[in-house]
Amino acid sequence: MATITQSSPVTAEPKAGILSNIKVTPGKAMAHLALLLLVLIWTVPTFGLLISSVRDRDQLAVSGWWTSLTTVQRSFAGVLGTPADQVQEDDQFVIRGNVLGDDSNQVLVGFGTSINNPAEFPAGSSVEMRTGGTITVSEDGSYVWTSPTAFAHNRVRLFYTSQVPPRFTLDNYVEVITAAGIGRAFVNSFTVTVPATIIPILIAAFAAYALAWMRFPGRTLLVALMVGLLVVPLQMSLIPLLRLYNGIATTFGGSAKSYLGIWLAHTAFGLPLAIYLLRNYMAGLPREIMESARMDGASHFQIFVTMVLPLSFPALASFAIFQFLWVWNDLLVAIVFLGQSQNELVLTGQLRALLGSRGDNWEILTAGAFISIVVPLVVFFSLQRYFVRGLLAGSVKGG
Amino acid sequence: MVEQILYAALTIAVGVGFAFVYFWGSNWLLDRALSTQGLDGPASARRDTLRTRIRPWLFLFPALFFLTVYLVYPVFETIRLTFYDGGGRNFVGAANWIWALNSPAFVQSLINNALWLIFVPTAATAFGLLVAVLADRLWWGNIAKSLVFMPMAISFVGASVIWKFIYDYRGTGEQIGLLNAIVVAFGGEPQAWITVPFWNNFFLMVILVWIQTGFAMVILSAALRGIPEETIEAARIDGASDVRIFFDIMIPQILPTILVVWTTITIVVLKIFDIVLAMTGGQWNTQVLANLMYDQMFRANHFGRGSLVALVIMIAVLPVMIWNIRQARSEEGTH
Amino acid sequence: MHKTLLAGASALVLSLALAAPASAQAVELPDLSGQSLTVFGPWVGGAEIAAISAVIAEFNEQTGANAEYVGSDSLEQQIVIDAQAGSAPEVTFFPQPGLAANMASQGFLTPLPEGSDQWILDNYAAGQSWVDLGTYADANGEDQLYGFFYNVNLKSLVWYVPDNFEDAGYEVPETMEDLIALSEQIVEDGGTPWCIGLGSEAATGWPATDWVEDLMLRLHAPEVYDQWVSNEIPFNDPRVVEAIEAFGMFAKNDAWVAGGAQAVGTTDFRDSPAGLFQVPPQCYMHRQASFIPAFFPDGTELGVDADFFYFPSYAEKDLGNPVMGGGTLAAITNDSPAAQAFMDYLKLPVAHEIWMSRSGFLTPHQGADLAAYADDTLRAQGEIMLNATTFRFDGSDLMPGAIGAGAFWTGMVDFVGGASAEDVANNIETAWSNL
Repeated sequence: MATITQSSPVTAEPKAGILSNIKVTPGKAMAHLALLLLVLIWTVPTFGLLISSVRDRDQLAVSGWWTSLTTVQRSFAGVLGTPADQVQEDDQFVIRGNVLGDDSNQVLVGFGTSINNPAEFPAGSSVEMRTGGTITVSEDGSYVWTSPTAFAHNRVRLFYTSQVPPRFTLDNYVEVITAAGIGRAFVNSFTVTVPATIIPILIAAFAAYALAWMRFPGRTLLVALMVGLLVVPLQMSLIPLLRLYNGIATTFGGSAKSYLGIWLAHTAFGLPLAIYLLRNYMAGLPREIMESARMDGASHFQIFVTMVLPLSFPALASFAIFQFLWVWNDLLVAIVFLGQSQNELVLTGQLRALLGSRGDNWEILTAGAFISIVVPLVVFFSLQRYFVRGLLAGSVKGG
Repeated sequence: MVEQILYAALTIAVGVGFAFVYFWGSNWLLDRALSTQGLDGPASARRDTLRTRIRPWLFLFPALFFLTVYLVYPVFETIRLTFYDGGGRNFVGAANWIWALNSPAFVQSLINNALWLIFVPTAATAFGLLVAVLADRLWWGNIAKSLVFMPMAISFVGASVIWKFIYDYRGTGEQIGLLNAIVVAFGGEPQAWITVPFWNNFFLMVILVWIQTGFAMVILSAALRGIPEETIEAARIDGASDVRIFFDIMIPQILPTILVVWTTITIVVLKIFDIVLAMTGGQWNTQVLANLMYDQMFRANHFGRGSLVALVIMIAVLPVMIWNIRQARSEEGTH
Repeated sequence: MHKTLLAGASALVLSLALAAPASAQAVELPDLSGQSLTVFGPWVGGAEIAAISAVIAEFNEQTGANAEYVGSDSLEQQIVIDAQAGSAPEVTFFPQPGLAANMASQGFLTPLPEGSDQWILDNYAAGQSWVDLGTYADANGEDQLYGFFYNVNLKSLVWYVPDNFEDAGYEVPETMEDLIALSEQIVEDGGTPWCIGLGSEAATGWPATDWVEDLMLRLHAPEVYDQWVSNEIPFNDPRVVEAIEAFGMFAKNDAWVAGGAQAVGTTDFRDSPAGLFQVPPQCYMHRQASFIPAFFPDGTELGVDADFFYFPSYAEKDLGNPVMGGGTLAAITNDSPAAQAFMDYLKLPVAHEIWMSRSGFLTPHQGADLAAYADDTLRAQGEIMLNATTFRFDGSDLMPGAIGAGAFWTGMVDFVGGASAEDVANNIETAWSNL
C-alpha cells in the first residue's frame, strides 16, 4: 500500500500547464486551435438553447436565436385609437397615441397602411388614411391622427417597422421555478437518484473484482453475459417486473409502486454497465501489487477493500457520474415504478407536465433543460477531481 | 418531505451497511467454516481449493441475483412473447417473424441501424479520444472537458429542443434553424435537413455523437492518466513527435479501454430510440430497431412483434459479445 | 372490432331539431367516505389539470370519496403497462377509442352497467353514435358498452385574422368552392392562403390525417367514411385517393402554402399558426382543431385578433355540413364501487358544466346548460356542432393503432414529401392487410 501512494503523486496536470504557458510551439498552437474548434462545435447548440431560454416564446417561433443578440428590424401591426379617444382641437378632430405601446425601447423606422408594406413611409411623414384623416407617426412611435370631420371608424390598424433592441426575459425560468410541485419534484428526484447511484456501485465493485482477479470456471462467459445484458431493452422488462412487484405487494401487503422498488430497479438496470466498466478498469491494475499482497497473506476481501477499491476511484467516480445522469434524466422507469400523481413526480416528469398536453408551453423546455442540468453538472465537477489524481502513474501495466 | 429525505438517507445507510455486512460476513463465514487451522497436507489443500472455488460466487451473488430477476428473466419472457399474438395470449408460431421479414419498416430499420452502428461509436470514440488527448496537454483542458461533457448531462427531451433549433427549416422568410441560416449566409438553398433522403439519418446520428463524445472522453481521459509519464518522456527524449507518441504509445496502452468505450456506445446505439422518436418519429425512412419496438409495443399494442424486434436487438449484440470474450481471453494470457 | 365500432355510426345525425334533453335523472351517488380512487387521463397542462381537478373535487364533495387525478402525456404507453401488470387506475380517460377497444378485447375494461346505453341515447345528442363509439368486443368477442365520451373537441375549423380579411376585402367563405376561389384570390393578390404544419415529434403527420378525413366527409357520403375507417373498402379505394389528392391541392401547392410544399412536413404544428399573425402575413388561413388558440401569440384575443369559420362543404355535393371531432372516452379500467360511482357522476350535467365554464371543453350532453360555456367562441363551436348534419369521429383514432397512429401518418408525410396519392394509399393498404 505504502509503495503505491508514494509513487502516485505524479500529477500530469501542473507540469503540462506550465509548459504550455512558456513555449508556444506550432504544435501547441495547433492543439489549442483544434480543441477550441471542437469545444465551439460542441457548445454552440447548447448556447443556442441558453439564449432561447431567455427569449419570448413568440419570438422563438419567428426568428433565430442568434438574431436576439443584436438589434433587428421587424414589422408589426398596431391598433390605432378609437373614435372614443378623439378630441376636438380648433376645427380638427385629433386622435393621439403611441403604436409602440409601452415597449418604448424600439425605434420606429417606417410605417404603412397596408399589411404588405409596413415600411412604405419613413418615420415622421404624414399619410392619408383610407378611413379618412391624415396620420403622422414619429420615431418614438407616437402618432397624431387628424381629420376635419369626426372619426367614426370601427377598428383601424397601422403597420410599422421598427428597430428592436435585444430583449431578454427570465419569465421561462420564473415559470419553471415557481411552478407548483417543482420543489417537491426536486426532492423526489434526489430521493430516487442518490440511493440508485450508490447501491449499484457497491454491488458492482465486488462482482467486478471477482471477474477481474479471481479464477473460476465460467468467468469469461459471465463477462460476456454482462455485455449481453447491457443491450436488454428496458421497455421489455417493465411489464414482467411490474407484474412481479404487484404480486409481491398483494402477497405481503404494501404498494407496488414505492421508492424501494425504483431503487432496486435502477440498481439492476445500472449493474451491467457498472460491472463491465469496473471489471475492465480493475483488470488493468498492476498485477505485481496484487501478488505481493497475496504473498503477505492478505485475503481477497482485504485486498479488495484496502487496495483495489481506493485504486479504482477514477472508475468508480466515472460510473457514478453516468449512473447519476441516467437516473436523474430518466422518466420512463420513474413513472412506471413510482407512479405519476403530483407528489410522486420526479423532476423530468414535472417538467413534462409543465409542457401541457399538446406541448402548449414547449418554450418551458428551454429553461427546464438548464434547471435540470445544474445538479448533474455539480456532480460532474465534484467527481471530476478524482480523474486527475494520476493514482496509477508509473505502475500500470501495458495493454 | 423531511420524512422522505430521512427515508432515503436511511436506505443508503441500510443498503451500504447491509452490503458491507454481507460481503464481510460471508467471507468471514467462509474462512471460518473452511478453516485450514489444525489441518495438514491434502486435507488443508482440499479446503483451500474449495474456498477458492466458493469465494468468487460470494462476491458475485448480489449482482447475479439482481441481474437474474431484473434482466435475465425478462429476456426469457421476451423470447416467449415473440411466439405470441398482440395481446400475448395466443400462440402464433412464426407469424411475427413472417411479419417482420415482409415489413418494409423492419428492413429499413436494419439498414439504418447498420449505418448507426458504423458511424456513431467510431465518431464518438474518435472525438472523445481527441478531446481527451488535447485537453490533457492544455491549461484550459478541464474547462474544455466540462463543456464537451455538458451534452451528456442534458436530458433527451432537452437535447431534442436544442437540435430543433439547429435543423429547423422554414420555406420562406427568416430561417430560425442555425444550419439553414449558415447555409443561406453562404448563398446556399435552405434544406429540410431531417427529410433529406439517406443523409437525414446522419443528421440524427450527429446528435448522438454530440452526446456520447462526453462519455468517451471521460473514460478515455481516465485511461490516459494511467499511462506512465516516464514512458512518454522516454519517447520524447528519443525524439518521437507528438503524433508518433499518440499512435505508437498512447493508443496501444489504452486499447482495452477504447474497446470498452466502443462497446458501450455500440450498445447505446442499439438501444437508441429517444432521438429518432423526438426528431422524426421514424418518418422519412429514419426508423431504427429500438423505435420500431417502441412503436409496436405502445402504438400498435402488439407485444409479440415488439418482443421480436427486441430479440433482434439482443441478437445484434452477439458479435460485440464474442469480440469481448476474445479480448477477455487474450487478457487472461498476459496475466 | 372496428366494424362494430362504426356499424351504427352512420346513424349519427345531429341537428337543432333534436329531442328536448331528457330531464336530468337524479343519479344517486353513494356515500364513499374514506374510499380512494385514481382517475387517469391525458391532460397534463396546468389549466387542464385545474379543470379536471375541479370536476373531481365536486365528486369528492358529493360522495366523500378521496379521488385523485393523475395525468400523463404518454397515457397510451402507461395504461398498457399498468393494465398488463395488473395495477391499472380505476377510471381512465382514453384519448383514442381504438386504444380502449384494444384493451377491451384483452379483457382489461369493465363494461358499463345495464341501461347505460339507454342513458346515452336519452342524454347525448345523436346518442346512438356515441353508444357505438363506446361499444367494443370483449375478450370473448361479444359486444359490450364500455364507456362514453367526456370532453369533445371540434376539428373542422379554419382560423383566420379578421382584420387581415377585412383589410384585403375577403369574405368568410360559405362553401368549399368559395374557399378554393378565395385561396386563388389570395394568391392573385400576392399572398399565401394557407399555413400547414405536420411536425409533431413522434406523431409527425397527424394534422394531415385530419385534413384528409375532413375532405373525405366533404367529398363522399358518411357511409363511405365509415367503410373507409373500418377497412370495409380498401385504403387505396379511388374515393380515398381522391380525398388525399384534395388535401394535396392545398398542401402540395407551393403557391398555396406558406414556405412551399417542402416546409409542410417539417413545420411544427405548434409553430404553424404563427404565420397568420406576422406582418406581412405569411398566410391567411389555418385549418386546425378547437384547441389551437393555445399556440397563438400571447395576448391574442379570440373573436377580435383571431377567429374561426367552419371548414365548409361543397355546395354541389349535397352532403350537408359534416363535422369531424375527437374526444376522450371514460371507461373503468379497474372495477370498484367508487369507479362505478364516478362513472355515474360523469353523467350528471354538473360534471360537464364545471369544465365548460373553464375552457377547451365541448360536450354533447344535452342536459348541460349552454350558458355555462366560458365564452362566445366556445359557444359558437358548440353551435357548429349542433348545426352539423353529420358528425364523425376522427378516423385515424378509430383505425388500428398501427395504421391510425403509424402507417397513415407516415403516408401523409411521404405524400407531402412528393409521393403520389396512389402510392401512399397502396402502402397504407398493404400495412393494413398485414395486420
